[in-house]
Amino acid sequence: MSSANHKMARSSAAWRIAGWPTVAFALGSAAAFAIMYLIIAGDIRQRSDDWLSGEAETLADVSANTPRDSLYGRLVQEVAELASHEVAPSSDKREGQNTVFFLQMTPNLEPIWVGPQPREPFVRAIEEAHLIPGTPASVKVADWTMPFRVVYDTQAGGNGIYLGFSDVAGSKMLARLTASCLFAWAATVLLGFAIAWIVAHRTLARVVRITETVSQIGTDDLSTRVPEGSSSDEISRLSQTFNRMLDRIQASVHQLHVLTDSVAHDLKSPVTSIRGSLEVALSENQSGMWRERVAEAIDGLDRLSQVLNTTLDLAEADGGALRLHKETIDLSELVRQLLDLYQPAMDVHRHHVAAHLQPVAICADMSLLNRAIANLLDNEVAHLPSGREINVSLRATGDDALITIEDNGPGFPLELRKHALERFVKGEQSSGHGLGLAFVAAVAQAHGGKVKVDDRPAGGAIILLSLPMSEVLTTKT
Amino acid sequence: MEASAQLTGTRKKVRLLVVEDDTAIREFLSRALTESGYQVDAARDGETTLAIVADKVYDAFILDLGLPDMDGLDLIARCRAQGHTAPVLILSARRSVDERVRGLEQGGDDYLTKPFAFAELLARLRNLLRRSSPAAAESTRLRVRDLELDLIRREARRGDTLLQLTTQEFALLEYLCRNAGRVVTRTMILDQVWRMRIDPATNVVDVQIYRLRNKVDLGFQHSLIHTIRGVGYVIRES
Repeated sequence: MSSANHKMARSSAAWRIAGWPTVAFALGSAAAFAIMYLIIAGDIRQRSDDWLSGEAETLADVSANTPRDSLYGRLVQEVAELASHEVAPSSDKREGQNTVFFLQMTPNLEPIWVGPQPREPFVRAIEEAHLIPGTPASVKVADWTMPFRVVYDTQAGGNGIYLGFSDVAGSKMLARLTASCLFAWAATVLLGFAIAWIVAHRTLARVVRITETVSQIGTDDLSTRVPEGSSSDEISRLSQTFNRMLDRIQASVHQLHVLTDSVAHDLKSPVTSIRGSLEVALSENQSGMWRERVAEAIDGLDRLSQVLNTTLDLAEADGGALRLHKETIDLSELVRQLLDLYQPAMDVHRHHVAAHLQPVAICADMSLLNRAIANLLDNEVAHLPSGREINVSLRATGDDALITIEDNGPGFPLELRKHALERFVKGEQSSGHGLGLAFVAAVAQAHGGKVKVDDRPAGGAIILLSLPMSEVLTTKT
Repeated sequence: MEASAQLTGTRKKVRLLVVEDDTAIREFLSRALTESGYQVDAARDGETTLAIVADKVYDAFILDLGLPDMDGLDLIARCRAQGHTAPVLILSARRSVDERVRGLEQGGDDYLTKPFAFAELLARLRNLLRRSSPAAAESTRLRVRDLELDLIRREARRGDTLLQLTTQEFALLEYLCRNAGRVVTRTMILDQVWRMRIDPATNVVDVQIYRLRNKVDLGFQHSLIHTIRGVGYVIRES
């Protein structure tokens, strides 16, 4: 059903795409042909008019200067016939050939006529035409299809001379020209349309393939891709864009699956332990004992809400909705306070913390930075075997404030290092929820900075958090 | 819970209005706040609230932002327009709180994100009520049994013994003593002593308290700092 619709839509679009340019092309080329026709036709008429005027002058000369004797009529007639032979080679005076007539009207004399018989229609036509001397004009003669170009000359010593010429050859040439022009025009228009239609059709066929592929992609199968083609035209780019989009959607869906699985998993264990604690509390008889169980349950609930909160924060960061409330912060003071807070916890684990903090001012969201750096310190407290060295440094490097946390612990497990910043990625022995570093990365990104996690050449882990300082002077919200 | 809602010694109970559409939370808050000594009314939506506040005066509001019929902040604005100046403790479901809510907080009100510890709600409520009532004379000394804090000299004594406390430890002890007899949560400690709204994955606060307790209670007959499992800490006479 949808495929039929596509076909219809495709052909109508192809017709539209090919049709309008063809109409424009047809109109344009028709105008060009018409102009060409008018120029050639005008040229041909001009040529015959020139001939007519010249011959009429010669004949007028002859008729004026020839003595009026008995041979006068014969002589003028001969000359006129000679002239007519110049343009009408055959003596056969029938239609379809160039035809010339000559008429001289002399008062008190028989008119001299050279031309096809009978001459009456010609004489009548001339009389009705009201010709202006010296100016060739078209005269329609009864029974003759082609009009005659006639020039009237009065200079022949009181004689009126009419010379008429029907340029059949020229007209035929014009007709042939018109016919071939029309044919050429029709052929080019048709060919143009055909080419345009085929190109449009083929292009649209690729669009239809994209449409069909995309419409086949369901929620359960996102692996299908649109054929991209080898060229780099717009359609190929469209396909490529579609495929990149599908890649991203597939990645997001995959991530969502992982997220849902991990959240479900991470929620299951606290829920189980909470439920267990409360069940035990119910069956306890001594009040002191159930208090302990209820307290355990609340601890479990706290862990649960921590997972929920961080997951929500990360979801917001992903959606670009992590709102920053920037203020100018003394970053060294912020780090120092956190180190103070964590110092007793470090002492418990017999870690030695050395801090090298340069005073660095930065425009950032204090609350988010606090939580991010607390996450990094939580990491050290939670994962480092006891009695290690931790180096925390803060310095300005170029445009960035760089916080470095190094330790001489076992470093990141190899399989973890690459994905340490992804959510729910955590070490096998980790009791955390695997969101800590992902949150740090999200906070860094929201500030235009980045996090790098690596192993030190000398052993141990190093975490670099860089934040741009450039906004210190510009933004203050 | 401690019956400590009476402020400045008056016998008149503090009146609260809880506006929350979730029945379970509304009923829990009503019950728990009543047990804590407050006089509590409850409303489940904005219209009901406006009808109630039309002819009643409250000392504080506890308001859920996500009401079914109107935006919580609009409701606050309409209450303010009716002349109610009582502070508002906002309950929000979202963790990263709306910018406008933060602005409101600066105007003297406060917010809590769900889920929250009830002890923390009580503490913030007390804070708001204290802020809105005439300031009591600021004491320069705090005393819990034989523990005495000199807030001017920043010294703490247990009996005759001068306790060797760091600045941070003194601040922590001061906060506990200011809330003597009342449970404070870890979140509140971080917020009020370290000025951080963070949620550490490790037991940093517990270790801080442990160290403070070693200095305050170790070697003395009566322990003052107590752990309330699942809630937080309290400093009290016994």
